[in-house]
Amino acid sequence: MSDHPEVRGCFLPLHLHYNVHENTWVEVNDDGTVTIGMTDIAQNLAGPLLHAKPKKVGAVRKKGKPLATVESSKWVGPVKSPMTGEIVAVNEALLSDATIINRSPYKAGWIVKMKPENADTELAELHTGQAAVDAYKTRIEAEDIKACEHVEGFEA
Amino acid sequence: MMDDPEGKKILVIQTHGIETPRRTYSPLFYAMAAAAMEMDVTVWFTMDGTSQLKKGVAETIQLDTTSDVTLKTMLEQTQDAEVKLRVCQQSLALFDMTLEDVIDGVEILGATSIIDLALDADHTMYF
Repeated sequence: MSDHPEVRGCFLPLHLHYNVHENTWVEVNDDGTVTIGMTDIAQNLAGPLLHAKPKKVGAVRKKGKPLATVESSKWVGPVKSPMTGEIVAVNEALLSDATIINRSPYKAGWIVKMKPENADTELAELHTGQAAVDAYKTRIEAEDIKACEHVEGFEA
Repeated sequence: MMDDPEGKKILVIQTHGIETPRRTYSPLFYAMAAAAMEMDVTVWFTMDGTSQLKKGVAETIQLDTTSDVTLKTMLEQTQDAEVKLRVCQQSLALFDMTLEDVIDGVEILGATSIIDLALDADHTMYF
């Protein structure tokens, strides 16, 4: 099986942990921090992003509270944190070019890095691997979410 | 850089309705933006703005025909973002509307309430 399975053309790398409802992902780093971003599905639903404004380094966010605001020509909303913790880094590149998220939602388009407070508990509440793919299949079919379209140079 | 706006109160007053569709989307978009920034947001519909809230109307307003987004979509997204929608009782009467004519989730308040909301808000935006 590919490490980057697709559901309706939307990539879902197996090693990430997903909040399927909020369309966010979490990657666990070696130093105990986590990196957080928007999924391919989220960037596709929003369309080409005009602005992305992460919260400041040092901000403590509870799970479910916004980590950033993002806006496109047709949508504006929060990126809700999948975990509780302190923001230790923000992706400054997004401030000048939010479309990085459209081109590379899982790599260059990361939004914040966080030092989580309850990593084990909260990671267990997310979906990962094939369970995440299956959960997304169910949601995408139930809500008839449109197939992902990718800009030139897209990387999964 | 400006202070974190979290918790501040924004009051959006919408006086335009379905007779001017191009003036309907933006105030709701700004309300959603403020909500995404964790502000406490209220949209107050008065004068012609009241017409947006009549059941069966908002789904007929579609600014971009290449998109499936209608004014109803915008109102629903606003409510999903926990923006409070309020309508002026006196304006409802002008449009021969009652509580039963108004879409779900909208609270009807009187004129003194808008004054209270304006005094309580950190900023008011008029449209």
